Amino acid sequence: MLDAFSRAAVSADAKNACIGAGEIASLKQYIAKANTRLDAVNAITSNANCIVSDAVAGMICENTGLIQAGGNCYPNRRMAACLRDGEIILRYIAYALLAGDASVLDDRCLNGLKETYIALGVPLTSQARAVAIMKASSLAHINETNTETQMAESNQMLQQRYNKMATVKGDCSMVSAEAASYFDRVISALS
Amino acid sequence: MKSVVTTVVTAADAAGRMPSASDLESVQGSIQRASARLEAAEKLSAGFDAVVKEAGDACFSKYPYLKQAGEAGDNQGKVDKCYRDIGHYMRLINYCLVVGGTGPLDEWGIAGAREVYRTLNIPTAPYVAAFAQARDRGCSPRDMSPQALAEYNSLLSYVIESLS
Repeated sequence: MLDAFSRAAVSADAKNACIGAGEIASLKQYIAKANTRLDAVNAITSNANCIVSDAVAGMICENTGLIQAGGNCYPNRRMAACLRDGEIILRYIAYALLAGDASVLDDRCLNGLKETYIALGVPLTSQARAVAIMKASSLAHINETNTETQMAESNQMLQQRYNKMATVKGDCSMVSAEAASYFDRVISALS
Repeated sequence: MKSVVTTVVTAADAAGRMPSASDLESVQGSIQRASARLEAAEKLSAGFDAVVKEAGDACFSKYPYLKQAGEAGDNQGKVDKCYRDIGHYMRLINYCLVVGGTGPLDEWGIAGAREVYRTLNIPTAPYVAAFAQARDRGCSPRDMSPQALAEYNSLLSYVIESLS
């Protein structure tokens, strides 16, 4: 497993060269943006349950066949497996975002994931859709553009779940673009 | 590759949990020291050739017997390889400064080095002399800031320990 720093060491070693001023400049950017990055990881981990359950619920709303008899989220046991997988994927994305490098996501999560899902008969398009919703909702939490659901007025449970991270406002375009790239990596690994 | 971030992620993964607040704290802690390390790495890579040459010269001036017939540096090819090896260790020190741990030195430099030197009948004392010279030669603030120099020297000491 690598992080942004050890990635620089590995690629410099392949060229048999020192890590020079150019690479160090980009690592300094990682350091300058470290607090933003940690806030972004915190935004994902603090809302993980909400992100995962909303994504799975959204996936099912768009394709209700999943929870009818014979669907892949029927019965509860398979629905639970789906929620668990969503959380595992989100967890590895959080690790990758913390490390600033995709290797942990690739090695420990995506390697063989598609083959496993095919063998188990899990529909890849539904899974990819759930990851896409997780991406949208995670980015909303990172950028703090998340809003209360439209149903929240009449639903006590949804009101309680609404959580806006109260961090210092700043430019987090770089970190959110990086987070988006990890979600896209999962989606492309599944399709 | 062992670094603060990968250690944190490995521990979190073994427990199957999201990165916790204390994980984020320890990453933040290593980030705070990172600017000194990166400064040292940058200055080392800028003066790399001069540092290697000076360290190599020191080892042959302390152990002139090395250039006698039958010794480890009895022809120019062998002498060049000695300088190359010193450069190799310096490059790994540069990586370690960037990574913030001894991972690159451990994995690519130290693991197996003792066995290799014994097989090739190469004495390690001259290497120690070379790195000791590099460690004594560093001067703050002429070369780098005191904190950066401390990080650099501690890695040189680590190499010296491994070769002693």
